[in-house]
Amino acid sequence: MKNRAWWFLLPALAVMSLSAFIPLMTVINYAQYSVFPGSAPQFIGMENFADVLNDGVFLNSLRRQVLFSIEILLIEIPLGLGLALALPKKGKWVGWSLVLLGVPLLIPWNVVGIIWRVFTRSDLGAVPAIFNWIGYGAYNASLNSGDAWWTVVAMDVWHWTPLVVLLCYAGLQAIPEEFYRAAKIDGASAWSTFRYVTLPKLRHSLILAVLLRFMDSFKIYAEPFQLTGGGPGNSTTFLSIYTSRKAIGGFNMGFGAAVSIIYFFLVILISWLLYTIMMNVGGGSSQ
Amino acid sequence: MSIIDLQNITHVYQSGGEKTVAVNDVSLTLAEGTSNALIGPSGCGKTTLLNIISGLLTPTEGKVLIDGKDVTELPPQGRDIAQVFQFPVVYDSMDVYGNLAFPLRNRGAPEEEIDERVQVTAELLGLEDRLHVNPANFGPEWSQLVSLGRGIIRHDTTALLFDEPMTDVDPGRKLTLRRRISQAQKRLEVTSLYVTHDQHEALTFAEKAAVMKDGEIVQYGSPEELYERPVSTFVGNFIGSPGMNFIDCEFAGEDLKIGKFTIPINESMRDNLDSSWTGLELGVRPNLVNVYDEPEGGGEIPAKVTLTEHLGSYQIITLEMEDIGTVVKAELPLEEKTDVGSEKFIGLTPENIMLFHNGEAIENGKK
Repeated sequence: MKNRAWWFLLPALAVMSLSAFIPLMTVINYAQYSVFPGSAPQFIGMENFADVLNDGVFLNSLRRQVLFSIEILLIEIPLGLGLALALPKKGKWVGWSLVLLGVPLLIPWNVVGIIWRVFTRSDLGAVPAIFNWIGYGAYNASLNSGDAWWTVVAMDVWHWTPLVVLLCYAGLQAIPEEFYRAAKIDGASAWSTFRYVTLPKLRHSLILAVLLRFMDSFKIYAEPFQLTGGGPGNSTTFLSIYTSRKAIGGFNMGFGAAVSIIYFFLVILISWLLYTIMMNVGGGSSQ
Repeated sequence: MSIIDLQNITHVYQSGGEKTVAVNDVSLTLAEGTSNALIGPSGCGKTTLLNIISGLLTPTEGKVLIDGKDVTELPPQGRDIAQVFQFPVVYDSMDVYGNLAFPLRNRGAPEEEIDERVQVTAELLGLEDRLHVNPANFGPEWSQLVSLGRGIIRHDTTALLFDEPMTDVDPGRKLTLRRRISQAQKRLEVTSLYVTHDQHEALTFAEKAAVMKDGEIVQYGSPEELYERPVSTFVGNFIGSPGMNFIDCEFAGEDLKIGKFTIPINESMRDNLDSSWTGLELGVRPNLVNVYDEPEGGGEIPAKVTLTEHLGSYQIITLEMEDIGTVVKAELPLEEKTDVGSEKFIGLTPENIMLFHNGEAIENGKK
């Protein structure tokens, strides 16, 4: 090897292959076999993929997953942006507000699930009590699929909106004051200032927020798992729960691997779509 | 086209318990359609004063009048003032056309009128070829033109304010931008105020300039007045590059004494002086310092050349008067032989010097 630079790349390549390349290859390999623990793997080609795409439970989980991510983005992005705009720009309250907002981010996924399971218990939880008080006594997350669904949505909003706030807040702080002065001089209303100065300048923060929240919400696992284990019925069975149920619960490793690969490409494809759309929206022309 | 009248403006910034007086009792009138500059070192309150005129700041005390109307409490939107900032502001969510049209659209002007005004303004600023380009990748000189365009597109712009607009512009492009700004100002005859710490910029742009120091305007006059008759050693030093030379001196009843050397003065000047004064200084512009190779017999002061700087078409030499312990800078033609270490003789003639008492100019005929 003539070029010594390769030696310097070696440690990074080794780590990469261990953490990403080898597992990915293993999964791609598994996906083409019928693999059950205790018996010899059998090559079956694309059969696993065909089985996955024909499985009604998979398709329902996928539909549910997409709906969930859309709802999460529609709630968390505007809410986070609104909160970021409402936060003080300077002064002693900045630090306190950011710390308070950051608290949910410090709590592990599993713990969030457990907290909310206690919250929503029909015998001692605060959530049923409050719903009862406002006249919706029927609330029950473990029996009523609508209640379970919106409880998971509420958990995610509670847990992750602060991330959107922090990203937007950082973006807002980076907009030079001159833009707002110029907008005032140009006679812009509060709305046009937001539309033509703030929003375009926040584009990169918002793209980051949307992508992070999409990818993460698309992989949601711990919260519904802790709350109802994916139920009642399959009403909160998301793709990740479905995958682990098949691969680990059902010992069908080949099938699970095929789901993982489809899952993986879906995340990449949708992220790319979101990124491309957001990079091209609202630029340039005016007449 | 308006008269801008500032009456006893004071502005105090308060942060925590600390008070900083940024502008201190400033009164200034900018005549209709004139171009003015506001110069002073960084932190002297120039930008604060500008923001008070545009309405971005409300002064702690005092009044701002536009054509006699008190606008002190009005927001920027209510004053129809245009302001170009140090940091070039273009809205990259719109193309140049959209940028220029923005102030008119905010006022709900009809589209035909907007289109007409955009074309006229773009032509005035040389932006007609770039109307449908997004200004996001413009250099600062083009961004500043777009920014200026947004300011002057309205029919009713009362005044044009510039806050150090050249700071981010490449040196090579400054001249072009300055010329375009100047042209636009002259064509529109709009009252304007140009804030800068660069006197060249100020004096080439403006008919009259105000020099500011520590929140106060110390002198307001034409570039010639500021250069030839500075009211204080501060202005003398600040205007001109290099600034005025100052030499400590004494009044000896008849003439001036600089150490053991005698400098003659005019009779009219003599009447304004008092021999009991201390803190008397003689000021002389570098181009008015006479430098000789041999004594001329008129009380020239010997000095040694310690530095020569060639500045294109002329040279600046630094001379040390060892007997007095003072350094003087002189502007000379390039042909003059000025080797470092050579002995010269400095001649100071009555018509070329000014006198300052405790930093204030003593003018002929008034103290």
